[in-house]
Amino acid sequence: MKWFRGRSLVDVVGIGLVLAVAVFSLVLLVAPSIIVVVISFDTRAYVTFPPAGFTLRWYKAVFEHGELVEAMLNSLQVGLTVTVLCIVLGVPTALACVRGRFRGTTALSVFVLVPHMVPGIVLGVAVLFAGALVGVSPSIWLQSISITVFIVAVMVRTVQSRLMRLDPALEEAAANLRATPFQSLRTVTFPLLMPAILAGAVFTFVEGFDNLSVAIFTHGFRDRPLPVELLALVQYTSSPIVAAVSGVQIVLAIAALVVVSTSIGLDKVNE
Amino acid sequence: MMQGPAGPSNTVETTAPVLGIGAVGKRFGATRVLQNFTLEVAEGEIVTLLGPSGCGKTTLLRCVAGFWEPNGGTIEIDGQDIVDVPVNRRPVGVVFQSYALFPHLTVARNVGYALRMRNRPRAEVAQRVASVLETVSLTGFENRYPSQLSGGQQQRVAIARVLVMEPRVLLLDEPFNALDAKLRGAMQVELRQLIKRLGLTSIFVTHDQEEALTMSDRIAVMSGGKIEQVASPDEIFDRPATAYVADFIGVSNFWETQAETGHVRLPDGQTVMTDLTGGVKVMTRPHNLRLGPPEAGPWKGTVSFHRNVGPLIEYHVEASDGNVIRVSAMRQERDRPVKDRSQVSLSVIDPASCSVYPG
Ligand SMILES: Nc1ncnc2c1ncn2[C@@H]1O[C@H](COP(=O)(O)OP(=O)(O)OP(=O)(O)O)[C@@H](O)[C@H]1O
Ligand SMILES: [Mg+2]
Repeated sequence: MKWFRGRSLVDVVGIGLVLAVAVFSLVLLVAPSIIVVVISFDTRAYVTFPPAGFTLRWYKAVFEHGELVEAMLNSLQVGLTVTVLCIVLGVPTALACVRGRFRGTTALSVFVLVPHMVPGIVLGVAVLFAGALVGVSPSIWLQSISITVFIVAVMVRTVQSRLMRLDPALEEAAANLRATPFQSLRTVTFPLLMPAILAGAVFTFVEGFDNLSVAIFTHGFRDRPLPVELLALVQYTSSPIVAAVSGVQIVLAIAALVVVSTSIGLDKVNE
Repeated sequence: MMQGPAGPSNTVETTAPVLGIGAVGKRFGATRVLQNFTLEVAEGEIVTLLGPSGCGKTTLLRCVAGFWEPNGGTIEIDGQDIVDVPVNRRPVGVVFQSYALFPHLTVARNVGYALRMRNRPRAEVAQRVASVLETVSLTGFENRYPSQLSGGQQQRVAIARVLVMEPRVLLLDEPFNALDAKLRGAMQVELRQLIKRLGLTSIFVTHDQEEALTMSDRIAVMSGGKIEQVASPDEIFDRPATAYVADFIGVSNFWETQAETGHVRLPDGQTVMTDLTGGVKVMTRPHNLRLGPPEAGPWKGTVSFHRNVGPLIEYHVEASDGNVIRVSAMRQERDRPVKDRSQVSLSVIDPASCSVYPG
């Protein structure tokens, strides 16, 4: 039955729902981001809307604010450490789960997921208490390792799903064509997994950079990460400097999205 | 390897099989997939494994290639047992059913892969890749990716990639499955000619009997992990060793009867010599039967169906004993086919071409 300009009822409802979701995400995600960015260029020293003028003062202030810069560098370090650890631990785990010939591959792939299911706060508190018991105090390394435990599942899952779609005959062909197991990994498996590893790396980096729930309990006393520093900052000030930090993060997030979408795009070109 | 004294009189080497599979078994848990499998393939010979789905053809290839380890038995190439040789050191090339081309590498890099893994100098790789691509008529496609090729071209890349390492034994697992029927026929002839020209010792797997008849020097008909018969395509077709082989290859008519001393009486009154006694099964092909007017002989029936298959006309005749017998005759344009539901008599053209099996 045609209902509205030649469309059926299902179509109309479907299009309506899509529009609703689009408006919803626009309002909840994009609009606040735009407002934050607009505020970050405002000339006035307190958060208001609409802005009174344009200035780069707050961005300058961010980079002159010693603690904020240090916090950003700390978060950058955590993000990179988490990414490297997730690649080093996650990729072999995914390989073992999918290609492994031993008992317990299913158990392993479920086990990896568990920390990700636990709320970050619970994990953070648990690490803090357990650390205290064995005499390990919070530090940037404890924070990095805790976030790695929390997020490594994302790397494992991303690589795993790609690996499951790879024809096992490719690796057999490599072996038949004289490749040693190591050569086969280097020339066939890894290049074909690269888009997945890259996508996983972006997700884990963002988590390492941005995580608050685990970080708040595990970060080093003198090495505050950015989210913790920002939390402290908004408690005591309401200057657009916080908005400027958010502006920097939004730019980073967009860059990450571009990396992910082009890496997945490249993936399609060769298949 | 056993060898006579060196010199021109040394003929042992040329007659020894290139590939010798001896009593190979393969189990998965409790299921025996291969049992006591024995086969020898001579230099330059193409042997086809033909059998129904699940009879163990792929399993045997995977054991020879080294992807799976057999549970007992020997696999020898040029007299050397290779069961303990790792996959990447076996002088064996595999053409996979899915081709398994590397999607991230160009045609040239796919084809040169084996040489690069062996660290051959660049110039040599380039020269050998070019020459192999010429052999399979793919010159000019060097920089394409597999996804930019047709199915037939992909298959030729898969073959070129294996040829470049000059394997002693070539293994092909249903390499035509991904092609459409017309291309398949052309590629079968092309591939057979190529393999013959290069003199490659090959095992070819298929469950398509026509493909087997086209491609093979010898056919090994398999059933349940064992070989029923190994012989030339003609012999397999004309003299099937067992009722199973007769049934599997081509169209066959069976009837059950009792053997008398030294011979079997056919329904039309003629006799076939046999050493068997008691209950037997007699088999003959449709082209060894002839239709006649109903009063011409004792073996009577009714035509239940006929169809034109190009140069032949094929009849289904319901015999008076209830058997449906298939008869084929050359089709002549001026002849009218025998109409459905007409009464006919059947007779065997050449009784010596009938096969007799234990019942
Ligand atoms: N990894 C495995 N584990 C258990 N059983 C297996 C395994 N691989 C194969 N089989 C069994 O072994 C038997 C033979 O399989 P195989 O693949 O060799 O058959 P095939 O002759 O190649 O059949 P097709 O014509 O369908 O390719 C089948 O019954 C199959 O179920
Ligand atoms: Mg198979």
